[in-house]
Amino acid sequence: MNRGREPLSAYLLTSPYLILLAVAGLIPAGYAVVESFEPSSGLGIVGGHGLFANYQRVFTDYRFDSAFLHVGEVLIVWLPIFIVIVVGLALLMHQRPGRLSRSVQFILYLPGALAGIANFVLWLFILDPTVSPIRFLAHGFGETSLDQVAQPSHLPIILAAMLIFLGTGTWIVIVFGGLNNIPDEVLEAATIDGASSWQIAMKVKLPLIRPWIGYLTLVNIAYGFQLFLEPSVMSQVTHGVISPTWSPNELSYTYAYSQLDTGGAAALSVVLLAVTMVIGVVVISRSKLLGEGRS
Amino acid sequence: MSASADAFPGGETARAATRGSRRRVKLGAVGRVSTLCAVAAIFLFLLITFILAAFRTRQSMTSANPLSGLSLANLNYDWTQIRGFDSGLFTTWYRNSLIVCGGGTVLSLLSGIPAGYALAKLKFPFRRTVLLVTILTMVTPNTVLVIPLFLEVEKIHALGQLWPVAVIFGFFPFGTYMAYIHFETALPKELIEAARVDGLSELGIFTRVALPVSKQAVAIVGFFSFLASWTNYFLPLVLLPIGNQQTLTVGLQQLITGSQLYDPSGAAGSPVQLYMPQLIFAAVLQTAPLLVIFVIAQRFLARGATVGAVKQ
Repeated sequence: MNRGREPLSAYLLTSPYLILLAVAGLIPAGYAVVESFEPSSGLGIVGGHGLFANYQRVFTDYRFDSAFLHVGEVLIVWLPIFIVIVVGLALLMHQRPGRLSRSVQFILYLPGALAGIANFVLWLFILDPTVSPIRFLAHGFGETSLDQVAQPSHLPIILAAMLIFLGTGTWIVIVFGGLNNIPDEVLEAATIDGASSWQIAMKVKLPLIRPWIGYLTLVNIAYGFQLFLEPSVMSQVTHGVISPTWSPNELSYTYAYSQLDTGGAAALSVVLLAVTMVIGVVVISRSKLLGEGRS
Repeated sequence: MSASADAFPGGETARAATRGSRRRVKLGAVGRVSTLCAVAAIFLFLLITFILAAFRTRQSMTSANPLSGLSLANLNYDWTQIRGFDSGLFTTWYRNSLIVCGGGTVLSLLSGIPAGYALAKLKFPFRRTVLLVTILTMVTPNTVLVIPLFLEVEKIHALGQLWPVAVIFGFFPFGTYMAYIHFETALPKELIEAARVDGLSELGIFTRVALPVSKQAVAIVGFFSFLASWTNYFLPLVLLPIGNQQTLTVGLQQLITGSQLYDPSGAAGSPVQLYMPQLIFAAVLQTAPLLVIFVIAQRFLARGATVGAVKQ
């Protein structure tokens, strides 16, 4: 047999993918690292000298701390609620996966098609008290305009609502996959031992799907660091009530486009890349994505 | 998906047999059904009131009643306004989106399906490294690379051109990983060995044995790739700075921020009237292709999303 040809064929088959991986992944990442150490010639560049000048400038930018702080606020508000909703609903559906569960699952999956800007328009409609079908809520707080609803202190809650609406359906499918992996014998044994469905859910199923919950948590933490669209368009429709450099990605966009500070933009991107890569490595090492231990 | 749990009626009888716990079971079932229905109702309420708003008039939006002012004729008015924005820019955006997302999807299939096959079925040096990098880029949010990509594309003086966006959309590691999982789990080793014995080349095995049994996997990868590029906002925003180069997602943002609703002074001289119903109709038009595929292919999509999770 021509086993010797295998590597050659494999490289032929993977080469289009490897080229794209290089062009759209490795090269820009490497280029950003190089650029982050190059002297920058943008507008109004002050502070920082030497090899780490760009990093120094970015780190001492007052907007840098607040951008990362905002991500932290969103994660604190959004993630715990999101995880409870996703895992709780998945457990409820798994308890009796009949027609009701399937229909609910499909309904929750629908907003996935609205991803991005369309979801933003939906929430603009819901949040703006001048057009909202639930404006009584805003009126209850004495808020009659979008600017009053979309105050900076409210933004973590607003983003949490947007992200929960968008992601719940997709992530339920993933956690559900984990629940379906639990062997029937385990659940039968628990039932024979007289465990109630509540006890089975909490003491049998929940510990067994911990890897999935970990995956859900980490991937979404990484997601939080790259928020751009929602805070950016929110800043535009509120005419600056929300800062245009609210999130780290918005800040690096400002560096690149408004300040023409390529080095600063590159340095900030490298920081973001490093943060999300570390999370990515943790995800891979702790989950079974690589399929370790298969024969 | 539900096969394992449907074949599990023993749980019901065992529980019911435990006397005294019957009441608790009933309460639990009521709680379960009402929770699921309540959540579904909230989601449906948001989706339906949103879509209905496209059928309403700007004046009727002063009423909180989501059914006030409904008329099919309003859609026609919405469309006239949207189409009139900047002398028909909306259709240009739609065309641009179709080009970059269509091109990106084709590229992602041409690159991801063979790569997934090679990763799953062939032995070659650095196989694990390629797989590792694929998974790493898959779980890393792609927007962290947008500014580096901007620097790269600017360097080759290709800002404002559609092809770099299509090429970047064509890099879809999630699709490669899905193809890898598919070929590894669904294509028996024996089939490949038999083809080798029959004297087929490795490439021949891929095109004549593996591909024909993988139509569904190709469709799933294609859909997820299209979905990812169709909803991408940050990349086209940065790489396509001028109005008539932009894609639909960035165009929608232009409609919103250029509307009378959110920029009354800037839009004062505009020949078109853009208020909430028109903005919503534009968003619905943007989402329409995805919603149609969602409803047609919901079963497959659920399965595809599971592949992205942890391997079984």
